[in-house]
Amino acid sequence: MRRGIPLVIIALMIFFVAPLVSGQGGGGQEESVCLGCHDSDMMKPEFRSIPSEWKKSWHYQNNVSCNDCHGGDPKDAAMAMSPERGFVGKPNYAEVPEFCGKCHIGILKNYLESGHGKALKSTQSGPNCVTCHGSHEIQKADISIINEKRCSQCHTYDRARTVKQALFVTEKEIRNVERGLKELRRSGVFTEEQERTLFSTEAEFRTLFHSVDVSLIKDRTNEFTRKLDQIDSQIRDLSHELLFRKNFAAFLMLLFLGICIVVFSLSKTS
Amino acid sequence: MFGKVRNWLEIRIGLDELTRTQLTEYLIPKNINIFYTLGFVALAAFISQIITGFFLLIYYVPHSDYAFRSVQDIMNKVPYGWLFRMMHAVGSNLMVAVVILHMLSVFFMGSYKKPREMTWVVGSFMLLTTLTFCLSGYLLPWSQLSYWATTIVTTIPTAFPYVGEFITRMLRGGETVSGTTLNRFFALHVTFLPLLLLSFIAIHLFLIRRIGISSPPFGESSEEKKPWTRYRHESHAGGYPFYPYFVQKEMLMVSAYFVAMFFIISFLPTLFLPEDANTPADPFKTPAHIKPEWYFLALYQMLKIVPNKLLGISMQIVLVTLFILWPFFDTEEEDNILKRPLLRSLFIISILAWITLTIWGRYS
Repeated sequence: MRRGIPLVIIALMIFFVAPLVSGQGGGGQEESVCLGCHDSDMMKPEFRSIPSEWKKSWHYQNNVSCNDCHGGDPKDAAMAMSPERGFVGKPNYAEVPEFCGKCHIGILKNYLESGHGKALKSTQSGPNCVTCHGSHEIQKADISIINEKRCSQCHTYDRARTVKQALFVTEKEIRNVERGLKELRRSGVFTEEQERTLFSTEAEFRTLFHSVDVSLIKDRTNEFTRKLDQIDSQIRDLSHELLFRKNFAAFLMLLFLGICIVVFSLSKTS
Repeated sequence: MFGKVRNWLEIRIGLDELTRTQLTEYLIPKNINIFYTLGFVALAAFISQIITGFFLLIYYVPHSDYAFRSVQDIMNKVPYGWLFRMMHAVGSNLMVAVVILHMLSVFFMGSYKKPREMTWVVGSFMLLTTLTFCLSGYLLPWSQLSYWATTIVTTIPTAFPYVGEFITRMLRGGETVSGTTLNRFFALHVTFLPLLLLSFIAIHLFLIRRIGISSPPFGESSEEKKPWTRYRHESHAGGYPFYPYFVQKEMLMVSAYFVAMFFIISFLPTLFLPEDANTPADPFKTPAHIKPEWYFLALYQMLKIVPNKLLGISMQIVLVTLFILWPFFDTEEEDNILKRPLLRSLFIISILAWITLTIWGRYS
C-alpha cells in the first residue's frame, strides 16, 4: 500500500506534465520490412529507388503498401518474399492488367473490352496500366494523363483528343466539387457523405477513361453531371450554414460587447 | 410578486443581512485593480464549460465506434449543437488562458505571501486540474489529432525506469490507445475532474473569504500593513463595497471573456479545431506534424531540447513542484515586486522563456 502511494503520485504528476509531448509523430504508415532492404546499399541500384518513388505516390497516401500489390509478409524479413506468404514479385508485361485489376476491378473490365486491352491480348505488347500510369510513383489519375506526348508513343493523338474533349466537362465539375469539399473540410465541416458519393462517382467516371469509347462517354456524361450537381448543391447548403454560424456568433459577440459598454457606463456613473 | 418572494426568503434565511454582510458591506481594498477579477472570470468560464458540456453529453457517445460520428452529428445535425461544441472547445482554451493570467497577476501582486500560501497551492492544483481537463477532453472527439496526441502523451511515462511501462498501461488501459482509453478519459472528464475542481474551488473561495481579499502592493492602500503573527480577517475598513463596485468590474470582464469567445467562433473557427481534428481517428495512419495545444507547447519544446527524455521529464516535475510550493520558498516580507529586482527579473525571464519556448515549439 505504502509503495503504491508514491506510484500514484508519480502517475498523476506525469499525467499533468506529460502532455508536453505530442509532436514526435509523423510519417505515413506502419513500416514494412520491404523498405529496409530496398533502401539499403545491398540492393541493386534499379530497385533502390522504389521506396522513395512509392512514398511520392497516390498509393502511399492511401495506405496501399508493397504487400498489397506484391504479396509477401511485410512484417517478417525472412518470409517477406516467400511464395508461401503470397509473394508474387514483378508480374510479366501481359499480366500487369490482372495484377492491378485485383483492386481496380471495374477498370480492368473496361480496359479489357477497350482497344488497348484487346491489343495487349492479341499482340502481348499493347499498352498496359504501367504504360500510361507508371508503376511505383503512380499518381492520382485525371484527364491530364491523356496528352499528345503519351498517346503518340503508340498512335496519333486525334482519337485521344476527341475522348479528352468528351471527358472535359465532367472532369472540370469533379475538380470544382473537390475544391468545394476541401474548403468545407478546412472550415471544420465533416464531409464524409459527400466525399463518398464523389469518390464512387469519380471511380465510375474513371472507368470510362479506359473504355476509349467516345459515344459511351457522351451517353453517360448526363448521369455524372446529375450526381455531381447534387453534391454541389449540398456544398452550397453547407456553405450557407457556415455563413449563418459566422453571423450568429458575430451577433452574440456584439451582444456581449453591448453588455460590456453598458456595465462600463454604469460603473462610471455609480 | 418580487417583494413577496423577497419577504419569504427574508423570514427563512435573513436575506437582507446576507446581502449586507456578503455584498454591500463586504469591503475590498481601495487600490484593487481589474486583474483581481480574473479569478471570477475563470469561475464563470468553468460554469460555461459545465453548461455547454452538459448539452454535449446529451448527444455524445463515449464509444470508439461512435464517438467521432456523434461529435459530427452534434456539429451538423443537432440544432445549435455547433454553438455548444464551439463554445466548449474555444472555452477550454480561453479558460486555461484566464487561469494562467490569474496566476501571473497573483504572482505579480505578491498575493501568494503569508497568510495566503494555501490559497496559492490550491490555485496551482486548480490550474493542473484545468490542464488535465483539457487533456482528457482532447481525446473524446476521437479524431486523428486527439488519437495521436494521446498516443504520444501516454508514451512519455515509459521514459521512467521500472514503473514507466506500468504507468503507460494504466493510463491507456492496455498496450495501445483504444476504446478503453476513451472510456477512462471520458469518466475522468465528466465525473472525477469536475468533482475535484469543484472541491478545489470551494476550498479556494473559503480561504479567500476567511482571510479576506489581498491588497495590491501598488497604489494607495486604505489600511496599514501589520505583521501576521496570529489569524485575523483582512476587512479593509474604509475600502469600497464589493457590490456594486467590484461586481461591475467582474461583469465587465466576464462580458469581455464572452466577446473574445464569440469573436474566435465567428472569425477564427478553426483556430483550435484544425483539419486533423475533423478527421476520424485512424490507428494505422499517423498524421504528420502533430503538435500539442498551445499551453503545452513550451513544455513540449523543452522536452525536445533536453537530450535525455528522463532528465527532461524530471526537470519538468521539479519545475511544477517549485511552482506549486513557491510561497514556501519566497518568504521575504516585501510583497512589491517592483522593489525586488531579483524576483522581478525571475518573473520577466520566466515569462520570456515560456513565450520563446511556445513560439519555438509551434514553428519547430
